[in-house]
Amino acid sequence: MKRIPLAYWFLLPAAVSIILFYVLPVILTFVFSFTSMASDTGIYGNHYVYSKNAIRALEKSTLNRDIFKKIIERKYVFDSESLKIISQSKIEKKTQTEIEETLPGTVYSTEKALFEALDKLKNKPRSFRDKKIISRATIRSLNGEEFIEISEMRVAFEKLQIEVGEEDFDLITEVTNTSWHWTTKNYREVFSNPDSWRIFKNTGLYVTLTLGLFNVGCALIIALLTFYMSLGQSKFFRSLWLIPRISPSVLYVLLWRDLMDHSGFISYVMGYFGVAPTNWMGEFPWVTIIVINGFVGASMGMIIFSSAMQAIPKSLLYAASVDGAYMWQQIRRIILPQIRWPILFIASYQTLSLLTSFEYIQLSTDGGPARDTEVWALHAFHTALSNYWGNLRYGFGATLSVVLVVIGIIASITYLKLFKFQVLLQEPPIEN
Amino acid sequence: MKIILKKFSKNFGQVEVIKDMDLEIESGEMVALLGPSGCGKTTTLFAICGIHNITSGQILFGDRVINNVPTQERNVGVVFQNYALYPHLTIYENIAFPLRIRKMEKSEIDQLVQEYSEMVGISNLLSRRPMHLSGGQQQRVALVRALIRKPNVLLMDEPLANLDAALRLRMRSEIRRIQQETGITAILVTHDQVEAMSMSDRIAIMNDGKIQQISTPTEMYSDPKNTFVAGFIGNPPISFYNGVLQKNYFVGTAMKFELSEATLSNGIQEEQKLEIGVRPEYVHPNFGDEVEGKILFIEPQGRETLYDIELDDGQVIRSIQMGSQQYQMGERIQWGMDHKNILVFDENGENIFSKLYGTSPKL
Repeated sequence: MKRIPLAYWFLLPAAVSIILFYVLPVILTFVFSFTSMASDTGIYGNHYVYSKNAIRALEKSTLNRDIFKKIIERKYVFDSESLKIISQSKIEKKTQTEIEETLPGTVYSTEKALFEALDKLKNKPRSFRDKKIISRATIRSLNGEEFIEISEMRVAFEKLQIEVGEEDFDLITEVTNTSWHWTTKNYREVFSNPDSWRIFKNTGLYVTLTLGLFNVGCALIIALLTFYMSLGQSKFFRSLWLIPRISPSVLYVLLWRDLMDHSGFISYVMGYFGVAPTNWMGEFPWVTIIVINGFVGASMGMIIFSSAMQAIPKSLLYAASVDGAYMWQQIRRIILPQIRWPILFIASYQTLSLLTSFEYIQLSTDGGPARDTEVWALHAFHTALSNYWGNLRYGFGATLSVVLVVIGIIASITYLKLFKFQVLLQEPPIEN
Repeated sequence: MKIILKKFSKNFGQVEVIKDMDLEIESGEMVALLGPSGCGKTTTLFAICGIHNITSGQILFGDRVINNVPTQERNVGVVFQNYALYPHLTIYENIAFPLRIRKMEKSEIDQLVQEYSEMVGISNLLSRRPMHLSGGQQQRVALVRALIRKPNVLLMDEPLANLDAALRLRMRSEIRRIQQETGITAILVTHDQVEAMSMSDRIAIMNDGKIQQISTPTEMYSDPKNTFVAGFIGNPPISFYNGVLQKNYFVGTAMKFELSEATLSNGIQEEQKLEIGVRPEYVHPNFGDEVEGKILFIEPQGRETLYDIELDDGQVIRSIQMGSQQYQMGERIQWGMDHKNILVFDENGENIFSKLYGTSPKL
């Protein structure tokens, strides 16, 4: 038997956690994206519910109109079942007796009619509450009804004297069935929904601007400035830029909110220039999300770029100055080409990280105002996990995430091709 | 262009690296800065090309003080120890770099690069990248890059240190040839005395941030100013021995011999403490009998054989003799020294008896 090298055993924990926390979720997301899972279906649910949605769907379907009418119809029926419930209730005995004697077999189509009939009794129910109890005991309707088994539904149909053909019955069960099913509808929806394109553009704008202005641009500028500073100064400025990254994100955003509030520091300062107090975050949501993310993102690039610059042999810069290159020419012709690989790394890494991260946007503008700063990842989050007003659509959210994964992969491949990654990773031939 | 250093000093923080150095290099001359590592020779070089600011003193190119002229405008060519080729550029781009910075015409650059790369025989490598070149090829590229914009001065920092022995030999003469062809003023920094002696017109030997002696290689060898220079120059190295002068005799614990008249006429006092230095080629069986001891170590070198002789007081005198090994390890011998060719230093290591006459040893 071939022995497994020890190294593989050491790698095992990492492999397990990668599979559990990275590979599996991606696969599952992909799987979920082909389902109609949502909070109204549940993940296990396989019931038959005459929900508002289901009835709306039935209305639009080819179902026999008579049957449809009967399904949505409400009836108040005095049969043995309703009488039994009434007899167990706290309604006065004489009223109960009179109902049992006079009303069995009668059917009313509205609650109003039922109440009128009750009012005509000699021992009419003494309170509105009693009437309601009777109403509830006698009402027969499929509207809002939930069945766990198909057989239960058949029984209900019989009771309501609705005669349904097999074809119609199948249609009804299909529409009312709450269980999720396999579908490609999500994908069609992603591409047909006009929101998608708008959010896509938002995302592109957000990633490009944050990446260009801060995560790479600002990081590069800080790294270059501190590169030409003395050690003490450069340490100070780099530490300063690290503060946003090490501060807890919630506190960090809260500080920004305070800063940009009506009564915040910016409003206070602008007050001296005669500017009325303004909610700056609401006024400039795009500036807000880019700056908030950028201040955090810049530090990583700064650290990587700085250390890459430190690694450039001093003699190369000496040689360049001897050759007549001033600082700017040195930066353009020596330093930047030398740190091309770290720049690629930061650009691709931060593209992916910006594509998928939304916490700072969620905490600051939450995609608002009017979903103006909603980006793709936040959209997926809102759709699947945090929709305050409607259904949580797990399947559709998963589809949105899959689209994000695909975009991420395309972006990485483009970066790798653009920067000739293969060449960069080649081992230099050892000579001399 | 003439280079002059006047009372040049360089401190790094509290550390004084160079102290009041004076050096004058004639136009078209090649001077080697020779010294052990840490003696300040690279610092001097970097100060001349402007990478380091100088603490005090003056540096002149011709009659222009260039203390505050930035490196970019000094027009010096530098060959760095590790060549400092730009790894992301091709050889062509590396060589053309100084010209491109100066925004020279493309056609002109083309022509110059061709011309210069042919001069050192690398014109077939122009499209490669530095990492695909051997050490010797990289060295030539560095040299050409330094020369292509016709600098006032060529500075070389240990240019041959990273080459193998055979290549070093070849590049030695090649650099010297190119320097003489172009007539450029050049400074060579090296710790290798053979390199310094074979490549340069004059050697400035440095120790502890001071120039110990500036002279031609031959003079440096035959007339060292002090024991440091005597010990640093010469391979195999000189042997030293301590003693005093007693009635025209040099007397050590295990050796005694009469000093030559030329030496004595330099004003040595009776009972003065002395240190003699004797180069290995002036110790030979034919010279006399004052070197008495046993052979401690033998180093056959093919053409010559090197013997370490341990005198009875434990001090060692070295002898190099033509031909193959004639004596055995541990053998007791009684050899002599060529008295005319002995360097005599005083207690502080300063040379009193000025020079070796360099007469060929009686073999």
